[in-house]
Amino acid sequence: MASKNKARVVEKNNGEVLAFSEGAIRNNAMVVEYCRTSMAALGGAAAGILGLTSLYGFVFYIFCAVAIWLLLLLKAGPHWQKYFTSRSSLLSSGLSGGLITYVLFWTFIYGMVHVY
Amino acid sequence: MFSKMAELLLDSNIRFWVFLPIIMITFLVGILRHYFSLIIASQKKVELLQVQDSQALVRSRLLRENGKFLPRQAFLMRRHFFNSEDMGYFKTQKRAAPTTNPMTDPNAMTDMLKGNVTNVLPMIIIGGWINWAFSGFVTTKVPFPLTLRFKPMLQRGVELVSLDASWVSSASWYFLNVFGLRSIYSLVLGENNAADQTKAMADQMSGAAMAMPQDPKAAFKAEWESLEIVQHQWALRNVEAELLGITSHSKTD
Repeated sequence: MASKNKARVVEKNNGEVLAFSEGAIRNNAMVVEYCRTSMAALGGAAAGILGLTSLYGFVFYIFCAVAIWLLLLLKAGPHWQKYFTSRSSLLSSGLSGGLITYVLFWTFIYGMVHVY
Repeated sequence: MFSKMAELLLDSNIRFWVFLPIIMITFLVGILRHYFSLIIASQKKVELLQVQDSQALVRSRLLRENGKFLPRQAFLMRRHFFNSEDMGYFKTQKRAAPTTNPMTDPNAMTDMLKGNVTNVLPMIIIGGWINWAFSGFVTTKVPFPLTLRFKPMLQRGVELVSLDASWVSSASWYFLNVFGLRSIYSLVLGENNAADQTKAMADQMSGAAMAMPQDPKAAFKAEWESLEIVQHQWALRNVEAELLGITSHSKTD
């Protein structure tokens, strides 16, 4: 990729200019995506084993997503701005990103354990 | 209502001979397809002229976005190199419009064929085989209630009117797996893997599967225009003062 290590520049509304590396941001996003997929798969399996149904399962998913978000922020520490550009988008993309995987694993394990 | 429907008793052999095999087959076929496409993938040949063009475009874009870190003189000099009326790069480089039909390009044809072989063909064959071998089973139940609208989607192959919509038939379980496992593939195989066929399918639907040979002439014209209207504002105007802590970063425009 030609623009792998390109610097991206964002001007904040107080006139401060932030420059950050595109490649590093993409790498961080990828790592977060891996965490999220693992969270969705493990959370789905846990929900299936617990036998959660309907609304409880989705509440559990939201709980998992918020938990992984808090853990990521804990890992990033007080200087989270060095790693992520926005905290809230980290949560919102996390909520939408793993849902299909979560539902699949939830259905799978629930079927294995509770249906038959 | 939901708890009443849970009374349906399934043979537990279905679990080991239908339910589990389908998810295993889907997953392993995805892995196989990834490695198979690695085998038959061909290195894309790039022409020197294309590289030159795209690099020029990248440089111009960088200048537009980060030009504020350059002194005004330097910025204007660089823009002059690209945009000057009589000797600018975008003005003097005349590129022929690309050959329009990708069908005439044998390389593009082979790539398309390979894409079809690795993406569409296994989808059809495995889907058909699963439909044939595991047809007509009610495999599992999604653990949340669904409306009747979902019946044709989740109960393909099992046409029972009175069955609750949250029961899933074997054919539909396969399709659920196909779409649900894609992020697992990216976890197992890494980013940009070939097993992720849903993306390729989406590409085909939007008609963007064959990356059209981009038209450098139009790209140059667009880049020329956007570079022409860039206003240069030096971001580092009072950087010395800021360094010495005389003024905090205040906007001085």
